[in-house]
Amino acid sequence: MADEDDPGAAARGSGTGALGALLLADARLPTGGHAHSATLEGAVAAGLAAEQVPAYIRARLRTVARTEAAAAVLALRAGRGRPVDYGPVQAALAARTPSAPLRAASASLGRGLTRLARALCPGHPAVAGLATATAATPGLRPLRPVVLGALGAALGLTEAQTARAVLYDDAQTVTAAALKLHPGDPLATVRWVVDAADDIEAAVRAAVAVAAPADLPARSAPLIDQWAAEHAQSTRRLFIA
Amino acid sequence: MTAPTVRPGAATPDHRDHGPREAGLTSGTPTIVTVASGGGRTYPVRLETGTFLRPRVMRRPGPGLRVVLAAVRASLCAGDDLRLHVHVGPGAHLDLVDPNGTVAYNARGGRAAWRADITLAEGARMTWTEPSFIVSEGADVLRETTVSLAAGARLAWRETLVLGRTGERGGALRSATRVTHEGRELLAEDLDLRDAELRELPGVLGGGRVIGQVAALGSVPDGPAGPHRLDLAGPGVLWRALARRTYESDRVLDEAWRAAVR
Repeated sequence: MADEDDPGAAARGSGTGALGALLLADARLPTGGHAHSATLEGAVAAGLAAEQVPAYIRARLRTVARTEAAAAVLALRAGRGRPVDYGPVQAALAARTPSAPLRAASASLGRGLTRLARALCPGHPAVAGLATATAATPGLRPLRPVVLGALGAALGLTEAQTARAVLYDDAQTVTAAALKLHPGDPLATVRWVVDAADDIEAAVRAAVAVAAPADLPARSAPLIDQWAAEHAQSTRRLFIA
Repeated sequence: MTAPTVRPGAATPDHRDHGPREAGLTSGTPTIVTVASGGGRTYPVRLETGTFLRPRVMRRPGPGLRVVLAAVRASLCAGDDLRLHVHVGPGAHLDLVDPNGTVAYNARGGRAAWRADITLAEGARMTWTEPSFIVSEGADVLRETTVSLAAGARLAWRETLVLGRTGERGGALRSATRVTHEGRELLAEDLDLRDAELRELPGVLGGGRVIGQVAALGSVPDGPAGPHRLDLAGPGVLWRALARRTYESDRVLDEAWRAAVR
């Protein structure tokens, strides 16, 4: 399933796969990711200390980020299919995201990515098909992992590249926010991400092994949901979520 | 009464890959509660005692039928596989009460399962209260709840999961919940609390050992706003309180429960 080293993968895509993997993981991408903290701001408000940030990254990689990575892989496959239908993965992800503020945050990131996808590959069926996601969950725009999967399909990413981009971005979002919320040594935070490599790779393997939306991981992190709700109701905040 | 089966050699605490139908469990007879509506009231159609629970009708005024679950024998021990099947017919109203709650005992290397399968037909209503589901030190238990709601059906459900008896860190629990509404997935959640180190990570449970939940499924009641409220993507609300002690989570959830059953 991990088709990363498969020489045929590039042939199936448009040759932009490897570059696309870097693009999608780059915080400089103009999609609004810098305004998000992966709920770290809510966690810090609830008392999370600087030295607990690596444990927070690990908690996410074992729970919610795993669900997102697997959803992105399912969306990538849907984006390669004809006709394209993101409805099942969007609905499964929505049922696994009980927190309304977290669904809203994911939809807002999805919106930025959709704008990018439409500018980059306007005629690609994987991008044009994004309307099928909204149709499955009225009132809820395509969620971030769904659009990432669509972009992955349009750019020719492999499943493992797509999953890793989601997981890396999750960890980097936390560390970048940590530098604003608990100012410290920026070089030290790089170590947190490198130290998460084993958890990231385990989650990549789990994500590519998911066969269908019904098998999408659903491991919840109850405190993250609670912190996200507290954060959404707070009036003093740096980050959207 | 069959003796609990402990599978020799199954002493590893890590069952990360076990599926829903595992070895090492002795399938018991399910407890069945089927009720229907007729003549302006709800009446029992099938009440069958299973290996672990005996359903009994409790008389009380009002249109709803109250059914109380009484323990047949001590559960959950290693190898126990408790099953509860509930069906509420069109327009019927069931109040299901489990007054004693459940204790999963130290399984000494074995494991146990508790599974509930709830279906509500069109316009059916059900309230369901479980005071506590306690996972003792050394227990390894899978809790699976499947709820299927037809159009217009409403379930108010209160559960309290407790890791360990007082002073214990608690055993391994995986609680899987799958709720569908009119055939569409409304809530899918795996509270995977098997690995004590993982569940104590910041963001999962932190220092909490009690997870209290009130769910209103099939409707969106007003109820308390605030950080304990989770508005689902479909018609449903989940209030969840993490605490050290049951009375602390109850304090948060009592108001939500009143809203859910209203």
